[in-house]
Amino acid sequence: MTATVLESQLVVGATLFILGVVGFLTRRNLILIMLSAELMLHGVSINLTAFSRYHGNPQGQVFTIFVLTIAACEAGLALSLILSLYQRRKSLDIFLWGKLGEDDLPVFTGTPAPPITVSVDPNVDLPHLTPAGRMPKTQPGPQTKT
Amino acid sequence: MDWSKENELLVIPLLLGCFAVWWLMPSAKKRPRIVGVLAGLAACIMIQGMLLPQAGDYIRSVLFFVFAAAAVISAGLMITDRNPVYSALWFALVTLSVCGLFLLNAAPFLSAATIIVYAGAIIVTFLFVIMLAQQAGTATSYDQQPIQPLMATVVGFILLGVLLFTLQEWGAIDGTSTNEHAEPRQFIAVPAEIQPNPLSQAPHDNPHEIGSLRVLGRSLFGDYLFAVEIAGTVLLIATIGAIAIAPRRAQGTL
Repeated sequence: MTATVLESQLVVGATLFILGVVGFLTRRNLILIMLSAELMLHGVSINLTAFSRYHGNPQGQVFTIFVLTIAACEAGLALSLILSLYQRRKSLDIFLWGKLGEDDLPVFTGTPAPPITVSVDPNVDLPHLTPAGRMPKTQPGPQTKT
Repeated sequence: MDWSKENELLVIPLLLGCFAVWWLMPSAKKRPRIVGVLAGLAACIMIQGMLLPQAGDYIRSVLFFVFAAAAVISAGLMITDRNPVYSALWFALVTLSVCGLFLLNAAPFLSAATIIVYAGAIIVTFLFVIMLAQQAGTATSYDQQPIQPLMATVVGFILLGVLLFTLQEWGAIDGTSTNEHAEPRQFIAVPAEIQPNPLSQAPHDNPHEIGSLRVLGRSLFGDYLFAVEIAGTVLLIATIGAIAIAPRRAQGTL
């Protein structure tokens, strides 16, 4: 019998995950949304290490190391994205990005482009391959020294 | 009615927790936070009665409950705090508590690595950005107005209720548990006999050994060598992507 009871850890992991989901859905700050995603990853990591202990092999812990790696990648990418988004609107509010259209561009009012039609003319002069056995005509150009 | 009476031990703390999170959410009207805090504490204490007692190992049991309560309470405060800086600091507390749980799960290396990666890198950089973005110290309106707080909280806690209910029922079907003296309505999800994962190596005899660097390193660089290479590639690509996406100095940083 393992010293650590598995079910309690699963309950804690599930609770952390759900709190992360609620935070992800409700917060409007870009950075807090990312932190809520990290909170969900914490809940998953608790589950993984608990199962690793339960089964008595290190695979859950190895998987948690990969989770850490991906979390670090995600944090770096999210941070640079948030920085470039912040530069545009000077705010971390997610509502400012609800509409992806750009406001300073004129609204499109013209007629839409005609549909593309492809017609093949049977009389068109298609290129032919040079017959083998004869020297092809070469363009006069700069000669390369051999 | 019969069903609700049978499961009131599960339903009542969930309702209390849902109410606590919804109450603590920032809103236009000032609500007294103490009501939400008390409801959340009551939910934690009630759900604690359903968790299994650790057989005979009281110190480990107390440590587990302290770490778990710290993690859950800090997480609740993190997602509801008005100030994003405080939210980030609560998240640091969540990370430390989770590292304590890792230690209880015989994963000392992971615990240290998580502290280094999260507390040392992620939280510091996020705090840096928050403080740069809110230099003026003005109260930002968007942190005071959550998106659909009631709907999100209710849906989240319904999901949590379904998860916990599944944990409960699953063990009742299986019959056996790690708890030999399970009271009714306790979480009895897993069979008592530890069956090795069929896809893995034989379990280690000494449970304290699975988190040691030797075993972890052999598994990581033996069984998962290709995965390690791919993870390294992902790190490299993420680094290049972050450098490419981040604003140039000519455009002015922040």
